[in-house]
Amino acid sequence: MGSRQITEKSLSMLRSLPRISLQNIRDNPNSKLKNKRGRGQHGGDKHGAGNKGSGQRQNFMRLGYETGNNPFYLRIPQEHYYRGHHLRREYPPLTLHNLQKIIDKDCVDTSKPIDIASLIRSGFYNFSPDLKQFGINLTDEGADIFAAKINIEVQWASEQVIAAIEKNGGVITTAYYDPHSLLLLKNPKKFFESGQAIPRRMIPPSDLIEYYTSAKSRGYLADPEEISKERVKLAQKYGYTLPNIEKDSDYTMLSERKDPRQIFYGLEPGWVVNLKDECILKPKDQELLSYYNS
Amino acid sequence: MTSALISAIKRLHISVVPQIRVFSSNAVSVPSADQQNTLTVTKKDWAFKPQYTKPREVWIENIDTIEEQKLGLFELHPSVYAASPRIDIIHQNVVWQKKIRFVSWAHTKTRAEVRGGGRKPWPQKGLGRARHGSIRSPLFRGGGVAHGPRSGKTHFFMLPFHIRLNGLTTTLSAKLAQDDLHIVKDLILPTDNPDYLHDLIEKRNWGPSVLLVDDTDYAPRNITVAVDSIPHVNIMPVYGLNVFSMLKHDTLVLTQAAAEKIEEQLLKWLNADTRTQQQAYKLNQV
Repeated sequence: MGSRQITEKSLSMLRSLPRISLQNIRDNPNSKLKNKRGRGQHGGDKHGAGNKGSGQRQNFMRLGYETGNNPFYLRIPQEHYYRGHHLRREYPPLTLHNLQKIIDKDCVDTSKPIDIASLIRSGFYNFSPDLKQFGINLTDEGADIFAAKINIEVQWASEQVIAAIEKNGGVITTAYYDPHSLLLLKNPKKFFESGQAIPRRMIPPSDLIEYYTSAKSRGYLADPEEISKERVKLAQKYGYTLPNIEKDSDYTMLSERKDPRQIFYGLEPGWVVNLKDECILKPKDQELLSYYNS
Repeated sequence: MTSALISAIKRLHISVVPQIRVFSSNAVSVPSADQQNTLTVTKKDWAFKPQYTKPREVWIENIDTIEEQKLGLFELHPSVYAASPRIDIIHQNVVWQKKIRFVSWAHTKTRAEVRGGGRKPWPQKGLGRARHGSIRSPLFRGGGVAHGPRSGKTHFFMLPFHIRLNGLTTTLSAKLAQDDLHIVKDLILPTDNPDYLHDLIEKRNWGPSVLLVDDTDYAPRNITVAVDSIPHVNIMPVYGLNVFSMLKHDTLVLTQAAAEKIEEQLLKWLNADTRTQQQAYKLNQV
């Protein structure tokens, strides 16, 4: 019996039962957890803490302490590959399989360029810029089943991922966002409600310049000519015919990119989004314009 | 267990029909031909169409005469008005409504607060008596209370968002299934005499206690005056609708506009992205 019949049956049963009122409702039996600590002569004996000593006093020792032994964390030699782990950039992964799932569930609009803001809005990806997480690492799991034509912007992508997206006639860009910009992209509504002007996106730090100017990684600062050469090269390497995006009906969507200083699609740095009056305020002062355009 | 349930159902003489036609009135008479000309049958086109279940049909009644007139047929969305009747969810909502505002002012004094008892009552040793340090210890008569209630204890807690939502749909569905939900066209009475309302409620086999719900928080003068002098008939706007009040009153009377507004709001939240609503309740959250 399906759940629909259960609902219909219980509603039709209710017709001939007494009226539901404050006097005859109750919770499901045994739905409340009882207080585990017994009381009284025998119920209140040791409460599971055992007899005598450190255990009974519930003297929980600090983490790693081994009652006088040379503890494990000091006994073994140091492992230097973790040095500076708290300073390293982290890119929480998103698999192509998951991306396909998000697209199939219609949680992201593929007729528009996809960026980290739209993926967070879909509800299937999350990250925290305050934990040194710098955006999406699109990974190649599910590359063989990936079948969507998209214009996507991620923060890190491997060669296989680039090939999987370009094979379907899509476009991928890797772009750097500083932590503050990522915070805005994570929750745009909160930022717009604060009434501040949209800031400029910062340029990548020195150790990332190479990645984001390289055409091989489809960096957002790379030369477009170089990128189109690399697209052909990659198609030859992986053995697929590269779809011609110039003749595509979605060419305008596929060729849309953000400015290196831009954070949101369609919004320029310096603008203030007024959610209350549903309007955008743009700066007119020459000094401000020159600042935001630099 | 199952066979016992089946026999219990048989004893209740219930025939399970896959699609129930719910009439909101007790009289199942078909309106006469001349009335049928003025009968409005509203078929609705919802933003979230009902899947697998058919809409519930209810009569639109009038309250400007004591005799019931059927003004039209009206469709209600099954996700809101024919949801699974979960008694436990209704109960959780009622408990929550009682507790959310409740502050316990019960208070007892500890051994420190009871007057006196600073002196050791008798020496520790040598008397053959039990050792004691204060006559206000919890062991003494007139002593302090150990672990007693302390005043100003709040019982505030937040019920999960979807349990609150399902509480409303469940209660509305149960009311409709039990013929305790009636839809009226508007709340216009010909007189402000409370006897008129008394007679109307008795004639139609409503109540005795009736909750009237309108979509606005102001109402025509006649009904407010009539309702004011009858303690068990109350009027409420849509935004005040709650599980406790629906159960407190025997019959729930919605205006057509109120029924639509309830449906619209609940459908919106049943199909919305409620991740922020489901987050843990924080004090001073915006």
